[in-house]
Amino acid sequence: MRLARPVRPLLLAMATAAALTLTACGSDSGSGSGAGAKPGTPRTGGTVTYALDVEPTCFDLQVNPQGITGDIERGVVDSLVTIDAKGAFHPWLATSWQIAPDLKSYTFKLRDGVRFTDGTPFDAAAVKANFDRIADPKTKSQYAATLLGPYAGTSVVDPHTVTVSFSKPFAPFLQGASTPSLGFYSPKSLTQGPDALCAGGSSIIGTGPFVFSSYTKGQSVTLARNPSYAWAPQGSAHTGPAYLDKVVFRFLTEDPVRAGAVTSGQVDVATSIAPSDARTVQADRNLRIQKVEDAGGSYSIFLNTTRGALTDVRVRKAVQLGTNVDQIVKTVYFGQYQRSWSPLTPSTPSYDPTLRDSLRFDPTAAGKLLDEAGWTGRDAQGYRTKDGKRLAIDWPWNPPHTREQRGVVGQAIQADLKKIGVDVRHPALDIGAYVALAGTGQYDFYDFSWTRFDPDILRGFFNSASLPSTGGQNAANLRDPKVDEWTDAGAATLDRAKRDALYAQVQHQVVLTDAAVLPVYVPTKLVAISTHVAGLTVDPNGKPLLYGAWRS
Amino acid sequence: MTSAAAPAVGEVPPDGPEWPGEPASRGRLAGPARTIGVVLARRVAAAAAVMLGAATTAFVALHLLPGDPVAIILGPSTMASPQVRAQIRTDLGLDAPIVVQFLRYLGRLLQGDLGRSYQLQQPVSALIGDQLAPTVQLALAAIAVAVVLAVVSAVATAGQRPALRAAASLWELVTVSTPPFWLGILLLTALSFRLHVFPVAGAGGFGALVLPALTLGLPVAGILGQVLREGLETALEAPFVTTARARGLSQTAVRARHALRHAAVPLVTLSGWLAGTLLGGAVIVEKVFARPGIGALTLQAVGSRDMPVVMGVVLLSALVFVLLSTVVDLLYLLIDPRLRSDRGAR
Repeated sequence: MRLARPVRPLLLAMATAAALTLTACGSDSGSGSGAGAKPGTPRTGGTVTYALDVEPTCFDLQVNPQGITGDIERGVVDSLVTIDAKGAFHPWLATSWQIAPDLKSYTFKLRDGVRFTDGTPFDAAAVKANFDRIADPKTKSQYAATLLGPYAGTSVVDPHTVTVSFSKPFAPFLQGASTPSLGFYSPKSLTQGPDALCAGGSSIIGTGPFVFSSYTKGQSVTLARNPSYAWAPQGSAHTGPAYLDKVVFRFLTEDPVRAGAVTSGQVDVATSIAPSDARTVQADRNLRIQKVEDAGGSYSIFLNTTRGALTDVRVRKAVQLGTNVDQIVKTVYFGQYQRSWSPLTPSTPSYDPTLRDSLRFDPTAAGKLLDEAGWTGRDAQGYRTKDGKRLAIDWPWNPPHTREQRGVVGQAIQADLKKIGVDVRHPALDIGAYVALAGTGQYDFYDFSWTRFDPDILRGFFNSASLPSTGGQNAANLRDPKVDEWTDAGAATLDRAKRDALYAQVQHQVVLTDAAVLPVYVPTKLVAISTHVAGLTVDPNGKPLLYGAWRS
Repeated sequence: MTSAAAPAVGEVPPDGPEWPGEPASRGRLAGPARTIGVVLARRVAAAAAVMLGAATTAFVALHLLPGDPVAIILGPSTMASPQVRAQIRTDLGLDAPIVVQFLRYLGRLLQGDLGRSYQLQQPVSALIGDQLAPTVQLALAAIAVAVVLAVVSAVATAGQRPALRAAASLWELVTVSTPPFWLGILLLTALSFRLHVFPVAGAGGFGALVLPALTLGLPVAGILGQVLREGLETALEAPFVTTARARGLSQTAVRARHALRHAAVPLVTLSGWLAGTLLGGAVIVEKVFARPGIGALTLQAVGSRDMPVVMGVVLLSALVFVLLSTVVDLLYLLIDPRLRSDRGAR
């Protein structure tokens, strides 16, 4: 057994806190100082009203896959470990842990004296009850179960020691264990049945600094301070209970309404400000904008390598070179979002910065590649043809599941590719027709982004064991033995240098050699925060940390 | 009979078959209680038929749309494993043939069970029960806004100087033509974000109801105002108005007491119909103002094709339309005594 020694000294803890604050304000210099850097001593008391753009359909973190559920409940449940911006793990509910050399089992020493807010002690049995429930197919977990991967079971060694086992080496586990999705509900609340947990409110019982006190459908969620909280994650700026008495999350799904509510002072924080409203918010002296760049998968277009003209790698490369991504991202997002060069975003561990500038807009080169591929003819509308067939690309989309003006990005790409003679058909479909096409691979382009602070998502995106026909995410239908080998090897090691090398190879291979993906932009949350609110930070998993926030 | 009243009476037949005449012709020696009982029974049976038809149509329509229900429930970007998919399919009974699914649904419906939401995991009856009050509140407030504005504007301007009429017509035209979504954002920007008169959203208190009720009620007020003014003007030209004036009644009394009554029948017909359509308007208003309610629930359910909730809302709106048409029929009798005597005469 290898001992992963948790870093303990206070100095390191401070460094972690500083790092967290830095991530919180993102890489943009225009956003001003980080929230935690505000001068003044924290004050106890007060309420913060936080406007969200999405209302969860279900509050059960173990079942519901929506990221917003984790945003709301990050303050309600605690996790075994916490992760810093560099991807290192630190103690939280687990004081130390040992990882078997084959990465098939993880043994955690649990912190003593932790209690759920219903009075139940947090112990090894609670860990087992939660993980077993997530892995049980009857729970129908749509996301948390994937974080447990090849879960084999949890065994209680003694009340404060627990071993989690997997049937295959599973390196991404600790990252998963740091997210709210693998946070802990009171074993008592787990027996209430799935409806009670889904309905939110007081049936959601965790060990966190806040208690889920009420939910009004269509309106708001209220969290109240847990006065007996004394087990903050290592690296927090303070210990003991949270400063705020209450946090009220309000659901304002319309962008202009959210922006109006925060500029008129009716809410203190508003997430997901539309880039078009960013300037108005920035001009307001009572507000500042925190830019949070998601870790995980960039918003990318995956090029189906097994259908029609795109089976030819030259056509895929032509698509990459013929799209003026720089211009599109700058125009559509008012210069607020970064264009992306890799299927991973820059804040994800093992992101490869050397891909920068690797795909320069070059319509001439794109045209040449299409000529080489035999698409030399032209039809009446000016589109390229080969053997009398037009060079057409199908890119279905579903407006209700499309965020952030991606429809406009689609139109711009369509216009760019038209100039090199490619006909992109971009029909808006209802959800039923859309999933019917997606499930059977009847598309040439497929676009999405994905939030997770772990490069292992590349295995889901490009490993041939993850084809859409088997319910996977490999939308490009890529079957590259090298990519399979590297992504499998990455999931089987915790050695940071090895992972960096492996994932750099994967990123180069899928972008440049296979041309299976066209990265577009780095998904970014613009959070407007009132100057009355200080200490609000965001963890590397992208979840807001209200524990350290106070009203100044 | 005046020429003005004739078209108004013509408005009655919408509910034709069940009501006029028939009970009396069958009632022989029966007392009024028996007649009312028969009428009620027919009404209930008709309502049940309407609701069954609505449920069947909705069920068939939703199943004719393409796509695997489980894939739709999970949404386009999902990591759910095949086991999870299979479990969902079994739990929701989606593995049975559609006819069996429909019969099961009807069976549960007869026991008063509307089923459980696929997405929200809650009983549909509880969801609708919780969300109904804010929507009813909003709809009533909007109808009140619409009727008051329409009546005031029509009574004040009917038959008056052309400039006044033109101004009234213009504002009616503007409210009818403005998309409610935009109207809502405009009202919010002006009265909430700039002037801080009303809160942005929520269901708490009277203040939060004003802007949504205006957004929903203004376009309806526009339509009602136009119809009412036309009716009023026709009525004001009728001979009975001259008679009333000759009896020494003031201009205002003639308008409010006599002419308005004549013009009110089409107003009631339209209000009934418009009140039914307010559910559709509530979808937009509840979204813009972040209010809870049936509209917000419907939007969420339709977007994710949450069958039991969609069916529940369809049944609810069918019920609302049936109830409204009954209320409208009763109001006709209240407004127009001739209809009452007509029935007695047959």
